[in-house]
Amino acid sequence: MKKYNYQTSIAPTWCPGCGNFGVLASLKNALQQLNFKPYEVVIVTDVGCAGNMADFISTFTFHALHGRALPPAVGVKLANHKLPVIAVIGDGACYGEGLQHFINLMRGNHDITVLVHDNYLYSLTTGQYSPTTPKGTITKSTPEGSIEEPLNPLALALANNTTFAARGYALDISGLTSLIVKAVGHQGFSFVDILQPCVTFNKNQTVDNWYKDKIYPLPKTFKDKTKAFKEALRQDKLATGIFWQEKKPSYHTQVSVLEKRTAVSKKIDEVDISRLLEEFI
Amino acid sequence: MKDSFNIKIGGSAGEGIKVSGLTLAKSLTRLGFRVFGYSEYPSLVRGGHNTYQLHVGVEQVYSQVKQIDILIALNQETILLHQDELTTSSLILYDPGDFKLPKGQLKGKYLGIEFIKIATQAGGTPIMANMVSLAATLALLDLPVTSLKEIIKNAFKRKSMEIVEINQKVVEAGGQFTKDNFSKYKLKIKVPKDVTTRMVLTGNEAASLGAIAGGLQFYVAYPMTPATSILHYLAAKAKDTGILVKHAEDEISVVNMAIGASFAGARSMVGTSGGGLCLMAEGVTLSGVSETPLVIVNSMRPGPGIGMPTWTAQSDLQFVLNIGHDEYPKIVLAPGDANEAFIQTKESLELAEKYQLPVFILLDKFISENDYAVDPFPAKHLNQRFSFIKKSYLSAHIYKRYQLTKSGVSPRSVPGQKNSTYCCNSYEHDEYGLTTEDPKTRKLMMNKRAKKLDEIQDEIPPQQTFGPQKAKLSLISWGSNKPVVLEALKNLPQVNFLHLNWLWPFPKKQVLDFIKNSKKVVCLECNSTAQLGQLIKKELGIDTQPLLKYDGRPFYPEEIINKLT
Ligand SMILES: Cc1ncc(C[n+]2csc(CCOP(=O)(O)OP(=O)(O)O)c2C)c(N)n1
Ligand code: SF4
Repeated sequence: MKKYNYQTSIAPTWCPGCGNFGVLASLKNALQQLNFKPYEVVIVTDVGCAGNMADFISTFTFHALHGRALPPAVGVKLANHKLPVIAVIGDGACYGEGLQHFINLMRGNHDITVLVHDNYLYSLTTGQYSPTTPKGTITKSTPEGSIEEPLNPLALALANNTTFAARGYALDISGLTSLIVKAVGHQGFSFVDILQPCVTFNKNQTVDNWYKDKIYPLPKTFKDKTKAFKEALRQDKLATGIFWQEKKPSYHTQVSVLEKRTAVSKKIDEVDISRLLEEFI
Repeated sequence: MKDSFNIKIGGSAGEGIKVSGLTLAKSLTRLGFRVFGYSEYPSLVRGGHNTYQLHVGVEQVYSQVKQIDILIALNQETILLHQDELTTSSLILYDPGDFKLPKGQLKGKYLGIEFIKIATQAGGTPIMANMVSLAATLALLDLPVTSLKEIIKNAFKRKSMEIVEINQKVVEAGGQFTKDNFSKYKLKIKVPKDVTTRMVLTGNEAASLGAIAGGLQFYVAYPMTPATSILHYLAAKAKDTGILVKHAEDEISVVNMAIGASFAGARSMVGTSGGGLCLMAEGVTLSGVSETPLVIVNSMRPGPGIGMPTWTAQSDLQFVLNIGHDEYPKIVLAPGDANEAFIQTKESLELAEKYQLPVFILLDKFISENDYAVDPFPAKHLNQRFSFIKKSYLSAHIYKRYQLTKSGVSPRSVPGQKNSTYCCNSYEHDEYGLTTEDPKTRKLMMNKRAKKLDEIQDEIPPQQTFGPQKAKLSLISWGSNKPVVLEALKNLPQVNFLHLNWLWPFPKKQVLDFIKNSKKVVCLECNSTAQLGQLIKKELGIDTQPLLKYDGRPFYPEEIINKLT
């Protein structure tokens, strides 16, 4: 079988040492392992450093508006549910600007994979605090330290009926590759919060003073949600791996119109509305 | 002998006034009459004053009129609230068992008919009192109740034949009682000689049918009056039509989801009203820059803010013309009645796909919710697809999704199609869709997108004119005012009228030709700043005289006649 490299003509524009390189490499590995042809995959990216990936990967890509990667991802899936759909999005976009989409589309168990590049900052806009920034962090927009408590993505997702929740680490390419393979293979909403070092703006959550001591692999996926929840609430350590996975029908499998065919394949060259007209006479 | 007559039903919300009105409208249509139904209600689920008025005639009746011939008063308030629409010969039907007539001087003739008692004595329930009132109305017009009984059958047969029969008995009883007791009040009206089959439907229903006929595959919306009934209708018909209908979490999601679906190849449409459209603004620009087809139905209501949800306005024209940041081409259509709502919504899906841009359908509460009687729409519709590439194209060309072309329209692939991947990009991009900030490419892309508007000029259909060629005074209006103006024209033989249902790209030549032949031009619209007037001024440099209304109510023909004579 031919292996694709998903390479485009554009070299990534990220800062040297940026965690986004690890995510891109893992995603390409995963697509290879899944044996997806580039034209059979849709990757919807948000706006941000993470989202710039749209130009660096040769699948069908959709570079959405800021905070809005998830609605078009669901739109693509509902229009043609045969396509695997992956959203690539930053923590600012996913948990800030577009949080309503994250929460609501998760509840629908739409069959998409959401990869959140969580660097605890708005990086593209030069490092303001984001919803996951720890309280008290000094950034350009919070010179006296941020006042809000940080959002806990995994705990939120677990409480909100996600059917797949995982945490990955951008620099652990083999671990992240395997998480992405499983996430894309999961039928339903699969969510991976990816810890992603931002070497340029984030001087607090660096490899040496944050990730090195905090990260450890989860031995196995929890069967008991309360245990998964407890692990998600931990602050001293950051486990990587699948916290939770359960089988539930995904959104499109519960829509009767999509039982036999995709929405795009509904024939429209000849439309007969005579039956619809009757009730108005 | 009256050529036309006007019936009004009034009561509090939750009393089924709209359903009664529609039932009567359909019954009279089946007898060969022309009808126009207009309803008013406050933004409340229960309580508040609701009305439905039905203008009926042998010849075409276009819109609602003020003066009432028959008032069905379902509560005391109705009688007091509509005194100035009554004349000494108006008939007022009310249930003396339900409430007493208000004290003081009252206009018209008051016929006490115990709706509830008649309904229950005929074996029905008190809710069926409305049916008694409709039967009484038909009796006072000396018309048979047969068509009303047919409508009842169609409406209730799925529930049970027993309900049908009870309702029909109630109708018979109501008609008989009125004949026995009030036949001397009968109105003398002209009746149609023959019966032509017509549909009675709202502008929103017509727009929905147009979308279905035009090959809609994906509809997504968030409820907002007066656009909500499109969502309701399409959701109810999703199973029959095979259209995917989704109620999304908010309007931002709505517009972005629709664009995603359209990127995947689906003919997609969204529906909302002003506030929701504000939330969609950024998304509309995404459709513009990424050249992804999108149809947006915006049914206007008075704003700003929440405004007056259940009333009417034409106040979003300038907003829609300028929606979103920066510049990109778009098409703006404004149907004048149910028939145009059908035709233009169907067309909008084709235009969006053909030119790969956002197309707006501007409706308002008035057209969205009025009941229009129209000739049945054609049953069969053929749809062509535009600018999708085929396999053979790819073997002969290097695929560039945003290829610079003479028309500005580029070949389009869909996800899943071999060797045709690209980035559908919200950023400025090159021909392949890759992000760029290169000044030359930026300019080329801006020009490429803008160029589409030139091509679209040829799509603009002839705009309709009415009245004499040479007139003392010329009216220009747009969208839903059409029927009201046409009703007024019956009494304004010296006035002619240009109805615009295509607003952008602006039909420059057609408007100029009309104005050139006019002595004095009045621009009639439902907003406070003459938004069409502004557009005409900007495009043609010509001043028009505004005739404006912005109290949430539609124009009445009588008002137009008064203002212009
Ligand atoms: C509506 C809107 N608001 C603001 C911006 C500016 N903006 C672009 S990216 C971004 C934040 C990016 O942060 P995040 O999503 O965490 O991604 P990162 O850059 O950290 O990968 C902001 C605020 C925008 N493009 N659009
Ligand atoms: S700013 Fe941070 S996140 Fe953005 S590319 Fe540089 S290192 Fe990566």
